[in-house]
Amino acid sequence: MRSPPPVSMGYGWIGAWHEFLFTTNGSSLALLSTYLLALFVRWTVSLNGYSGEGVPPLHGDFEAQRHWMEITTALPRREWYRYDLKYWGLDYPLLTAYHSWLMGRIGQMINPEWMALDTSRRMESEGLKMYMRLTALATEWVIYVPAVVIFANRWVGHGHWLKKNTLITLILLQPALIIIDHGHFQYNSAMLGFTLWAIVSLITGHHVLASVFFVFALNYKQMALFYALPVFAYLLGTCFRGPNGFQLFVKLGVTVVATFTLLFAAYSTDVSDILQVFARVFPVERGLYEDKVANVWCAISVLVKLRQRFEAQSLVYLSLSATLLAVLPSSIHVFRHPRPLTLLYALLNGSLGFFLFAFQVHEKSILLPLLPATLLILDAPFASAFFNTVAMYSLFPLLRRDVLVLPYVVLTVLWMAVSAFTWSRVAAPVKLFAMITYSTMLALHILEATVPPPANLPDIYVMANVLLSTGLFSLLLVYFNYRQWVTRSIASNPITNEKQKKR
Amino acid sequence: MPRYRNLLVRASINLKWKRNRNFDLGIGSKMKQRRVPRTAERASSVEESETGIVTVDTGKDSQPWSDILPIFAFATLVKLLLIPSYRSTDFEVHRNWLAITHSLPREKWYYEDRSEWTLDYPPFFAWFEWTLSQAAQLFYPAMLDLDNLEDQSWQTVLFQRATVILSEFVFLCGAERITRHARTRQQRVLLVGLIALSPGIVFVDHIHFQYNGFLYGIQLLSIAAMMEKRHILGGILFAVVLNFKHIYLYQAPAYFVYILRSYCFDGGFFSLKRFAAIASSTLAVFAISFGPFVKHIPQILSRLFPFKRGLCHAYWAPNFWAVYAFGDRIFIQVAKVAKVPVSQTASLTRGLIGNTAFSILPDIQPIHTMILTVLSQLPILAKLWVDATPATFLDSLILCGFGSYLFGWHVHEKAILLVLVPLSLTVERSPKYARAFYILTYTGVYSLFPLLFKPAETITKMILLMAFAVFGYHALKTLHSAR
Repeated sequence: MRSPPPVSMGYGWIGAWHEFLFTTNGSSLALLSTYLLALFVRWTVSLNGYSGEGVPPLHGDFEAQRHWMEITTALPRREWYRYDLKYWGLDYPLLTAYHSWLMGRIGQMINPEWMALDTSRRMESEGLKMYMRLTALATEWVIYVPAVVIFANRWVGHGHWLKKNTLITLILLQPALIIIDHGHFQYNSAMLGFTLWAIVSLITGHHVLASVFFVFALNYKQMALFYALPVFAYLLGTCFRGPNGFQLFVKLGVTVVATFTLLFAAYSTDVSDILQVFARVFPVERGLYEDKVANVWCAISVLVKLRQRFEAQSLVYLSLSATLLAVLPSSIHVFRHPRPLTLLYALLNGSLGFFLFAFQVHEKSILLPLLPATLLILDAPFASAFFNTVAMYSLFPLLRRDVLVLPYVVLTVLWMAVSAFTWSRVAAPVKLFAMITYSTMLALHILEATVPPPANLPDIYVMANVLLSTGLFSLLLVYFNYRQWVTRSIASNPITNEKQKKR
Repeated sequence: MPRYRNLLVRASINLKWKRNRNFDLGIGSKMKQRRVPRTAERASSVEESETGIVTVDTGKDSQPWSDILPIFAFATLVKLLLIPSYRSTDFEVHRNWLAITHSLPREKWYYEDRSEWTLDYPPFFAWFEWTLSQAAQLFYPAMLDLDNLEDQSWQTVLFQRATVILSEFVFLCGAERITRHARTRQQRVLLVGLIALSPGIVFVDHIHFQYNGFLYGIQLLSIAAMMEKRHILGGILFAVVLNFKHIYLYQAPAYFVYILRSYCFDGGFFSLKRFAAIASSTLAVFAISFGPFVKHIPQILSRLFPFKRGLCHAYWAPNFWAVYAFGDRIFIQVAKVAKVPVSQTASLTRGLIGNTAFSILPDIQPIHTMILTVLSQLPILAKLWVDATPATFLDSLILCGFGSYLFGWHVHEKAILLVLVPLSLTVERSPKYARAFYILTYTGVYSLFPLLFKPAETITKMILLMAFAVFGYHALKTLHSAR
């Protein structure tokens, strides 16, 4: 696969629609149409069920998020990470807690019963569902969407009207994020939004601001650690290359420490409280992987029962060293060449490496590598579109549990339709490979729907899903690493061009 | 403008690139584009002369479905997303009809009343439900159980919603048929889009739940036949749609006058042969429909025309009688202030079905509404008699529907579609018609808002109305700026 030609118009349906608007003097409506479609898709997905709807006693993520609104508004701050931990104890860092507090306060104004301490547990009502859905939508459109638009403006540059709109449309129609945040129910767009703000700040050269945003992301969900190494490597690389490197290094260090300090000082000044937050956020004792996830360890365990053969401690070391091995090459590369395009690839490779090899990974964490992958969709079109489709497939066992099969099908078809243009630029063997992959997935879906699993292998379909997804993710990890290494010589990014011209 | 110039230059380069690889994607790229010599004539348009690119519409010879299927695909996607939306009692009504037609012999279809949602559509619709029930049997037999009332299982929802979506393909066929005269491909795509992507149908069929799409599709086919002066076909199709849903009776006067004048009066003389032909062909449709039920016709008619129901439907149609009822309320307040005793029994449209009694203004009987309706239709019918052209026929369809909507007995607000669908066929005539269509569709769709009253639908409604407001406007503007 060679890189696409720098001038490209074949953007499929999106391109055709924009072409129509352009030739009929309707260019100003282009972004409005994107926003309306994105909003419509999100809202209609949110009409579906959420995780744990009507499944006592614990319900699911929806109840967890609602419960955190309850405890943060009803209890003194010290109690947030201590109160009745067995029932959805808060296990995300402080910004999530603050965010829950804000949403809880607003919710209380509408209906205090939704967030009443203890009595509101397992509450399910139409009004509550709608309120929670609206908070997810509002969070996304306040934090994430503006960052997407600014990113596209910066990434594509002026004069590339169609390219920019296509990029925005594709990023906003990314199916996995929509179905997890608005279907399953979570606030991933907040963490991803902060990360995207950090990326925007980095590629525009606002390094100090970027470090503030990244600390926000880390403090919203600890999963942002997947990105930490590439971001650190990029910043360090910039410090080494820039004229006032040491000064920048000191500035960054002070900013990071100050932001952390402020966030924690607002919570408590007592060391035991802060240690309790960390104990909740990093639960090492939980095991190598949780549930069935398209992760190397889970895939291997189909053949070798790792947990029975080795001690927990040695598994931690094994996973740690494998992760480092997977992540280090791309991070070293971005350290040596701290440029926007390499940064995105390094973020992608770093987070995908973490996803595949790290300890305690959720299937939803695939959203982390998906963010930089989708941002790169005009730079590595086919691989990015393919990755999104496979990721959607890997989420299927989770979505089926949440009764989100219909939106799963519709969103995947929509994604395949709007990204169909990416097929045109790939070599025939790759096309064949992708077609075989998609047919296998379809066949597995049909089998699962029609043939019940054998009694001795009740999880066979889930395991098939895990094996297939892990294999494809690993392939993609290799491919994206390769892309990162060859990107050095390709100047397909206008920002890189400008910088090179200046030099 | 200058920054867009870049885009067009890129477009041209890319088109060459694309042509070389011989593939195409989507609507726009399928339009044949070619370089045009810079003649003085072409240079009149700045953009064309600067870039040398122009979109050449190839009109009728091209494959029309390649333009129209993407619209259908997009519409289907929107409708699939709407599947979990709020469903009105009409959902259970249609499920119950599935059960009735499947479980009972046809003699009992119109007598069954275990559910309050009795079968009250003409026989063709009953047969339609029977056909669906054959498929439902394979998919999820439990929904066909007569006593399984209020079945809201996901299988039932998926099945019924999917049948609405699939049957709406007929609507698209109607839109395709009726826009064949369009001069350019772009014009055609715009017209099909304006007809087939109306939020009104989406609201009523895909959220509220009904099967209007395919009925309007048959009506479009019938209108198309009429406009091409294939009166017998048009008459048969209209008789068919009447036997699916009798609400189309409101527009029957227009059909009657048009057929009589432009077909039966051949060259100024009444042709008995033609009259016999059209009468026998349309009556044959009725015979096929009601024939198997010949012993039960009085029962069917009592189901089809329930004059026991009140003047205003439980969900008010914003028509003349709503204003009348409002006037009554005002007079009650006036009477209170003036200390004039009034009967307080007035229970205007209280409850689902019931008589409407007014306190001060005179009570209204079905016959009054009928007279007013006919009076409102007379002017356009008179014009149609004098000027029996396809254009006037279309106008009289619209106005007959509108008159009935405004003055009819027990009108549903959904009946506004009877006006909006034919109105969408007139938008190409002139900007004036386009304007009327835009304003009336916007208002009509807005008038459907109370139909979808759940809070979760508020956002859906607003997005769809806004999409129509912006992109409908843009389509209409494009349609008229191109000429």
